Amino acid sequence: MDMDMKFQNDGETLRVSAVPELSAANANSFRDETRHAFGGDQRNIEIDLSETAAVDSCGLGALVALHKTTSGRGGVLRLLNPTPSVQQILELTRMHRIFEVVRQ
Amino acid sequence: MPDTFGAFRPATLRFALPCELSQVRQAAKTAHDFLIEQGCNDDILTACDLALVEACNNAIKYAPDNARQHPVGVEITCHDGQLELRVADHTRGFDWPERVELPPPESESGRGLFLIQSLMDSAHYLRGNGENILIMRKARPSAAAHAKPVAGARMENDRLITGLLDELSSSYESLAAIFRHSATQNKAADLIKFARGVLGDLAGLVGADWFVFRTAQNQSRLDVLAASESALDMGSIIFRGENGDAAFLEAEAAVSRQAIWFDENRVLSGADPLRQKPRSRGLVYPVFVEENFVGTLVLGKNVKRGVSSPAGERAFTSSQTNIIATFAQFLALQIVNARLQEEHVAHRIIARELEIAGSIQRSLMLKELPQLPGFEIAALCRSAHQVGGDFYDVLKLTDDTALLVIADVMGKGVLAAMFAAILRAVLRATPELNGEPAALLARVNQILFDELSGVDMFITAQLAFVDVKARRLVVGSAGHCPLLVADGSTVKSLSPEGMPLGILPDAVFVSETVDLPTNCRVLLYTDGLTEAMDGAGERFGQERLTDWFNKGGHQARPARELQEDLANQLAQFEVKTGLNDDQTFLIMTG
Repeated sequence: MDMDMKFQNDGETLRVSAVPELSAANANSFRDETRHAFGGDQRNIEIDLSETAAVDSCGLGALVALHKTTSGRGGVLRLLNPTPSVQQILELTRMHRIFEVVRQ
Repeated sequence: MPDTFGAFRPATLRFALPCELSQVRQAAKTAHDFLIEQGCNDDILTACDLALVEACNNAIKYAPDNARQHPVGVEITCHDGQLELRVADHTRGFDWPERVELPPPESESGRGLFLIQSLMDSAHYLRGNGENILIMRKARPSAAAHAKPVAGARMENDRLITGLLDELSSSYESLAAIFRHSATQNKAADLIKFARGVLGDLAGLVGADWFVFRTAQNQSRLDVLAASESALDMGSIIFRGENGDAAFLEAEAAVSRQAIWFDENRVLSGADPLRQKPRSRGLVYPVFVEENFVGTLVLGKNVKRGVSSPAGERAFTSSQTNIIATFAQFLALQIVNARLQEEHVAHRIIARELEIAGSIQRSLMLKELPQLPGFEIAALCRSAHQVGGDFYDVLKLTDDTALLVIADVMGKGVLAAMFAAILRAVLRATPELNGEPAALLARVNQILFDELSGVDMFITAQLAFVDVKARRLVVGSAGHCPLLVADGSTVKSLSPEGMPLGILPDAVFVSETVDLPTNCRVLLYTDGLTEAMDGAGERFGQERLTDWFNKGGHQARPARELQEDLANQLAQFEVKTGLNDDQTFLIMTG
């Protein structure tokens, strides 16, 4: 799957945006590209989910993996503005208690 | 089932999803659009979207490589008060847990089934042969339910109960039929009759008008085991190889390992036996037992003239297909069992054959060796396998003379043992030549040549005529390893010329004569001694054998002691590898 995700560095935080979906088709490449972009001196990852139409269990798996990456550096994984349907999946799987979900 | 929902007509969307994860999104969108058309609300849409994605992901992720060319089947049916989503996969299947628990938060997988369970009202996973079906249901508000909510709920319950009863009774019938047949199978020796009975019952259960079951022979050919009518048996179907009838439906099913549905519009190639049933609809079902292809089952329904069923409608419902799969699986197991039993009998025959060969060989070995005045003879024969091709013999000719024999029949089993026995008999039946080893070998070769070359076998042999009064040894060899004579200071190695027996019809042999000094030792052996191997892959070899034989300490030791010593040397050498070849040797001292 072609993805044109955007990565922005903001000090200790890596921001990821323009993620069209987080599904079985792209979960692994999303995880790997994000880890690749994650600078050695950074601690946190923020993922903008406002444009993410669909998340499935594989997408959740990728988020868990990134959560572990940030925890390992004493940082956090922050999810920004998930759509209502994505929010529902996070709640259904209790993942909203694990990740920091932020609405801006 | 009676239409309990009045005028409401269920709508169905059916499509094939290529077995690729990148296609799931599009499939979900197709389903989403259909559900919007059917007036589903947002909550239902969200739930169905995700449940379908999870089901499809699993169907694709767990499909084995050889099933990837088969698409995932998706079917969505909107009833008035309920949605039903069916996803048919070609994975090995799994047992759906009674209750799916959420995995620990740090787990990166395992949320798919939980999501399906949470989003749907019910999920059932039916495992079939080569295809499994996940059936997910979710209630949705219906017009009838709004008007008469209580009656609607009751009707829904009634429908579910009727459905459950249907499923139960059909499984009961197939199980009962199978148990009935199992009971008779123990008694029925005739697999064909048994198969006909099982398939007749199956046809009755699923409403088929005819059937034919072909079993695979030699991995390339299908032959009829049982058919409802003899017209369907038109000889073998070759499904592999250059002359394969690949265009035949049953051959196609055998090669593709997939079930094939056919209807009366399907054009069958030239000699396809199924052309005997032109106006039929049905299923060609390949049957496997543990990945091994056993055969094909075809079940067909006659289509009446003037009656046209909707194009693409299958002859059997999915629960009927499950019953067909169950029966076919059962019959295949019986076929495999019957074959195993035959093999078991064949194995027992082979074991008996080896037993006979072993007793022939034991009878060849003399319990007590004849002895010569002033000399001692000892021998040993160790077989690496149940039956070997080595043997030795000592023929006492006069008070002072004897013929020492050692031979190695190339080959194993009954035939080798038989030739050893024949050789022994021929040698004993030719007493006039026993004093002339070369002439004797030539005669034996003439007698045995046709028999030996006819079965591509040959014998290496060594004959030594010993005259103790003259202290003389005359040696003849048919391609056998050398004979050793030691006198305390040197070892003589004798290998007179000669081809093995059974190679040339008129082979010529020469003999060599050697004097036997006082306190001499003579060794006849087979190449199992020199070929013996140790843990490092080194062979015992001619040199080691000669060195052992030449040891000064051996002088004046009786033959029996030397035989025990050599046996110990060999056993120590092979302590890590064990006995790999027959080892036979004969020692004479005097």
